[in-house]
Formats: sequence, C-alpha cells, structure tokens
Amino acid sequence: MNITVLLKQVPDTTAKITISGGKVDENSVSKWSMSPYDEYALESGLQLKEKTGGNLVAITCGPERTKKMLTDAAAVGADTLVHISNDGVTDSTHVQKLLAAAVRRFDSQIVLCGKQAADTNSGSTGPGVAELIDAACVTLVTEVNYSEGKFSTIRPSNSGTEKVAVDGLSVFAFDKGTHELRRPNVRGIMMAKKKQVESITSGDLGVVLDSSNVTLNSQNPPPEKPAGQKFEGAEHVNEVVSKLRNEANVI
Amino acid sequence: MAYEALDFYDVDSLLTEEERMVRDMVRDWVDEEVIPNIEIACREGVFPDEWRVALGEMGVLGAPLKGYDCPGLSYTAYGVICRELERGDSGLRSFASVQGSLAMYPIWDFGSEEQKNHYLPKMASGEWIGCFGLTEPDYGSNPGDMITKAEDMGDHYLLNGAKMWITNGSIAELAVVWAKLDGVIRGFIVEKNDPGFSAPEMKGKHSLKASVTSELVFQDCKIPKDRMLPGVKGLRGPFSCLNNARYGISWGALGSAQACFDSAKDYAMSRIQFDHPIASYQLVQNKLSWMLREITKGQLLAYHLGQKKDSGDWIPEHISLAKMNNVDIALEIARVARDIHGANGILDEYPIMRHMANLESVKTYEGTHDIHNLIIGRHITGIQAFTREA
Repeated sequence: MNITVLLKQVPDTTAKITISGGKVDENSVSKWSMSPYDEYALESGLQLKEKTGGNLVAITCGPERTKKMLTDAAAVGADTLVHISNDGVTDSTHVQKLLAAAVRRFDSQIVLCGKQAADTNSGSTGPGVAELIDAACVTLVTEVNYSEGKFSTIRPSNSGTEKVAVDGLSVFAFDKGTHELRRPNVRGIMMAKKKQVESITSGDLGVVLDSSNVTLNSQNPPPEKPAGQKFEGAEHVNEVVSKLRNEANVI
Repeated sequence: MAYEALDFYDVDSLLTEEERMVRDMVRDWVDEEVIPNIEIACREGVFPDEWRVALGEMGVLGAPLKGYDCPGLSYTAYGVICRELERGDSGLRSFASVQGSLAMYPIWDFGSEEQKNHYLPKMASGEWIGCFGLTEPDYGSNPGDMITKAEDMGDHYLLNGAKMWITNGSIAELAVVWAKLDGVIRGFIVEKNDPGFSAPEMKGKHSLKASVTSELVFQDCKIPKDRMLPGVKGLRGPFSCLNNARYGISWGALGSAQACFDSAKDYAMSRIQFDHPIASYQLVQNKLSWMLREITKGQLLAYHLGQKKDSGDWIPEHISLAKMNNVDIALEIARVARDIHGANGILDEYPIMRHMANLESVKTYEGTHDIHNLIIGRHITGIQAFTREA
C-alpha cells in the first residue's frame, strides 16, 4: 500500500519572524522546520507502514530549500521523496492542485497531512486535496488505524472523542497526535543521504496554474503585549478585581 | 527562542549534509531533553540514565569507528557531536568521549576479533557503558610511572593497584585498564563483577556534577587471559585513545563557549542599567566582540583539525594545540560571560557558572593545559621539558 504524507516546511515555531515591505521576510528566517502537525501525520504514516507494509511517499510543494525537509523525513523512514516546484504558485488552491496531481500519480489509498500549517494556518490543504481527488476527508484526527481494508480514526467530539471509519481513498488531517514523535538516528541519516529527491514541476504533473483570485495584501506582526501593571496595598483590591473581571476576563 | 549558534564565518557551511543532519539531530535533543533537565541532574549529582539510552538510540556513541555496529561517521561529525553535547554540559560530552574514544576505541583498534564482536555492538547501542583507567592517585601527567600491575598467573591475570578520576567508573559494565605486565604497559578489559574489583564513586565535586567520577580499585583482581588487548604495548595504547578524546574536546569546549556567549548576548541586550541596555555600552561590546573573535578562531581550528583527522594527515601536537587553545578560551569566555551577567551569573537560571566550573576540569583532564604547552614546546625545540632527566 502506498501511504502518502503531505509535508510543508515552515519557519521554526521558535524562530524570529521579521516583516519587510508588508511581507514576512523569508531570507531572515534563521531556521526552517517541518510544520508540527505534519510531523504527527508523518509519524502516523510511519506507524501504519510498519503495520501494513508498503511505501511511504513524502510530498512537498515549495522552493529548493524544502528538499532538506524531505531528506529529514527520509531519515526517520520515508521511502519516496517528491519535491514539487512552487514556480508560478500564488495561492493555496494552486498548491492543492499540484499535491492532488502528485497523489494521483503515486496511486495512494491514504493521504495524511497536518490540519494546518504553522505559518499560514489556513487549514485548506487536507480538505482541498480530498475534494480534487474525490476522496473522503476526516479532519482534526489524532490517530489512524487500518484493518481489513478500512481506516478508522479518532477525533475530538463535543462530548469526548469519536471514532470514524472510512472506506476507500481517504485524506486525514492531523491535529497533535497521541503518538510520540520518533527522532532520527545516525543509521537513518546515512540511509537518507542515499535517497534521491524526485523533483517535478507543474508541467510534469499536467497542472495548469491559472490566474489566482486570492491576493495576499499584507502581513503584520501580532501587536506587542502591553506592559504589566503592578498594584501594591489593600486599597487597590477593588480596582484589581474589576480589571481581572472586565479586562482580563479571568474571574 | 531557538538557539542560534554563533557561526560568524559560516564554518558549518563546510560540513557535509550528513554532518549537518547529525548536528541538528543532536542539537534538537540537547535543546529538548538536556537543557531543561541539566540543573536538576547537577544538583542531584547524577548522570541521567535516559541520556545513555538516547545517545545509544541516536547512534552517536563511538561516532568515527567503523564496523561492529559502530556509527562509521567522519571525525568531523564526531567533533560536531561533541560540540553540540557540550553546549548542554561538559559532563554529558565527557560521557560520550569516554565511551567512544577511551573505551570503545582501544577495543576497536587493539582488541582481538572476539573482543570486538563481544563488546563493541553493545557499547555502540549504549547498553554497556565503558570507562578508562589510566590516571592514578600519584600519577596524572606522568602515567608512564604508574604503579598498577598485572601478573600472569598461568590461567589468569591478577591485577593490583588503583586508578582515580575515572569518568563513568561506577556505572560502567567494563573498564579498559592500563597496567604494567613485567614492566610493560598493557591494556586489560575488566568487567564490573570481576572478583577483587570495585569502583567507588568520588563525591563532593564542584565541577562536572552531572557526570559520574570514580576510583577503580584492584585487590588481587582476577581476570581471564582473553581480556588483555593483544594489539598494543606501552604508552602508545592509552595515548592513541587520548588523541581521539582530546580532539573531541577541542570541539566540545566550543559548545560551552557558544552557550556562554549566547546567554551573555541575550542578557546584555535585555539588562537595562542607566536607562539603556548594557549591550549598548562600549565595555560590554568589547567583551562580546572578544568572545566572538575567539570562538571564530577556535571554530576554524577545530574544523581544520577535523579535516586533518579525516584525511589522516595529523600529528598529536596538532591536537594538543586545539585542545589547549579551545578549552582555554572557553573557560575565559565563561568567566567574562559571568561578569556580563553580574550577580545573575552565579545563579543556575543561567548556564554560565556551571560551564565555568566544568571547564576548570576540562582544562586539567586529558592532558593539562601546561602539559600540552610542553608537548608543543618539545615539537618546536626538540627538547623535552617534562622531566629534569634527559
């Protein structure tokens, strides 16, 4: 069984972000990492592969630098590495089209991805790709299991968790999973070094990137936190209680 | 904030992709598992067993050794591993140095095929910890005059003597012990349950507190004949091990220095005195600039030495220079960093005082600073100055 995992490289969640000309300055990002929810998708894919056998295909769409993330995925066990050039890509519908075409090409029964990327947080990849490949889609899952041709998955519900079973081609978008993420090791790194990244373009996939109807106008850093306030003495009790109740909304 | 390693000349761009991946693996582990737990380990005076397991799982123990389930990485990668581990703590790097360079290496280079097959795979996986017994209470810089001796009793060897300052001693499954057999230094593998062998822990250290340091005591310690390392005689044996460990230290010390620089820079940027961050004052900038200068020089030294180790074109004096210089500057950087941190520098909220205290040991072990100067002095002049006798 081919298991496909869709991965995105994002600025590390601890990296400093700078805005230049109304856009995030990618050149100033000190560390790029695999998006955290994608890591859970990958981990789950690796565990499925260990149980069912098969080939784990890791696909990303992005600039050259994203190939490094695929090699990182290989170091923990990804078998086939596919890099789709993001030349001409202007919005997430383009990314979905390219990923969907790549998924079809590798004939996977199951596609795993993060519920949202840590940079854009739009959460559109899983449902978007599912729509294009005509697959079932379950979002916010924490676990995926396979038995007798069916996938079953755990996701949160209003009253706890629910178990959802799906037949056939399925896309699962991962929340923070229940499995501990594995670390690479030297042996994995040495194997990964030997694995080739297959580079393909929109042309290779036969995808036409038509004009986009989404424009990103500007990006802004979050507002700075206001300075803390300090109160001393019993005479401030009423004021503090009022602030906690009405401003901080904590009591 | 993510740790951004100071790399002013972008020396790490010279690493291979594999070496960079190994670096990132160890760096992430140190960030996630070591730094949050190191102060507790120091206060309790223990080397956390989870770290042994993790080092084995990552597959970094005995990094440059090939075959027998050893990692088979480059010496440069081994250096990078030491640097990343020592950014966490010198005690952690000491564990890895002793396991890889001082215990696994002599078995790998001088052991019999049976010894290699028996010990190395379990040592590479971290299942068995090794230690290295050379230094004695009265023989540190002068190991050639060691007292510990081995006697051939026909069907076994009998060891008598004592070793001191032995990293990993009390937690080790086996010790590579250097002792005189008929006046010639030979290597012996002693296992922890051998009769007549004990390894009491040395307590009360103000340095390398998260590392186990022990004495090794041999009182009519009886070991089978097949435990002697067949491949080496004389001081060449222990010195070959020390060359590799010292090489690792020359990288490791930079990890400590980088941790101190990182903390000092952050502190100076955020500490306000006289209405401005202290980083805006010339005296502080001078200190930070000096740190960057020395770290950058040390990085070039370590990298170039790594390339020489990998090509085989090196002499022990090259290693002496790098060990001596990089530990020396790391210790001085730790002291200056403590100064920049003011009183806060003595708290365990910051890594400074711990690195400083650790580096006092690192300056002394594996060839003291002064001994390395004498090694280089002999290289320059052809005149040995270790002893009065010619």
